[in-house]
Amino acid sequence: MLGVARRMLRRQDLAEDAVQESFVLVWRKSHQFDQSQGQAKSWLYTILRNRCLTLLRHNDREIALDPMEAETASDDAILELAYNRLERTNDLRVCLETLEPNRRMAIISSYVLGYSHGEIAGRMGAPLGSVKAWVRRGLLTLRECLS
Amino acid sequence: MTDRSLSERIDEVVLGLASETEMAEIEALCAADADIAAQLERARSRFAALDDTADIMPLPDDLWQRVETSLDAKEPDGSSAAQSADIIKLVPLQKAVSKWRATALSGLAAALLLAVGLGWSLLNVAEPTIIAVLLDSQGQPIALVEGNDNNKTLITLLENARVPDDRVMQVWTKPEEDGSPVSLGLLAAARSRTLSVDGLPPPRADQLYEITYEPLGGSPTNLPTGPILGKGFAKLPVY
Repeated sequence: MLGVARRMLRRQDLAEDAVQESFVLVWRKSHQFDQSQGQAKSWLYTILRNRCLTLLRHNDREIALDPMEAETASDDAILELAYNRLERTNDLRVCLETLEPNRRMAIISSYVLGYSHGEIAGRMGAPLGSVKAWVRRGLLTLRECLS
Repeated sequence: MTDRSLSERIDEVVLGLASETEMAEIEALCAADADIAAQLERARSRFAALDDTADIMPLPDDLWQRVETSLDAKEPDGSSAAQSADIIKLVPLQKAVSKWRATALSGLAAALLLAVGLGWSLLNVAEPTIIAVLLDSQGQPIALVEGNDNNKTLITLLENARVPDDRVMQVWTKPEEDGSPVSLGLLAAARSRTLSVDGLPPPRADQLYEITYEPLGGSPTNLPTGPILGKGFAKLPVY
């Protein structure tokens, strides 16, 4: 869990806060956990991811980024590692492989790094409209491929 | 706005691209319609494999203390405790007097810590029906393999392997003595974990297990191609 938060937030202290706050939310929302609707792991990670996204959206990422950490791992390296760690036979990996690289990167950056459309556009140096179209078409292909 | 399909809106919630308003709308739809909730859950499970690609990091020692302090600082209002028959009822616990909460919390905390800290699925292995110790070329034990009839295999690494940056550990077995090796999965983060494969016969005595170094993403041929880190044969534990 901490690894997921650390990857999105890029700062150990913020990641620990996010995990801590997620456990508090887990405790508070435990009455909402409905076993018939999914697994505990998925529920826990959803709470954590949402917490991280809120932190990202409400903080200026540039300020939040710790300069000491900046060079430890570039976005590209993190994304490449995440993609490469997906097993070749994993359904998601198989389907991601069929996507055009731009679409694939846009989708992975949003899930793994918590990037917004605008941030993906900035990072990839592409117009916002194109990024939105990449994501939309990429998701459509993934849904078809994974269904 | 409404020209976008529901599936697309759900996917954007899962990816984290949806605005807070949009998320709230989808959550409301899910609360009202179990089919939509199930659709959201399926969309989540499609991407969940990416969560497992993050590094496994130990939680700080004082985390539970911090969680407890936060719970003390802000009492829940309790008014939103909408319940249904299917819902696990922890609410009575929450309403317990605070001295009991510490106990209850550490119970929950311990369960979550075990589940999360150990990589979740470690807990799901039933009593193993086979155990194999994998040895390297010098005869040193490098991993313990425990398998059961559900084809869940717990791999416990016994030493920190130095995996080259462009390689990953892949676990193999030979369900049939004279058949081909079958992949049980990758140890992507070079940590102990449980691997689960469907469709294999229950493991038997003397079945071969081995770990090899393969290119990232696993062997391109789906057969072992890289150097062997360790191998061993299954034994039946005596209970």
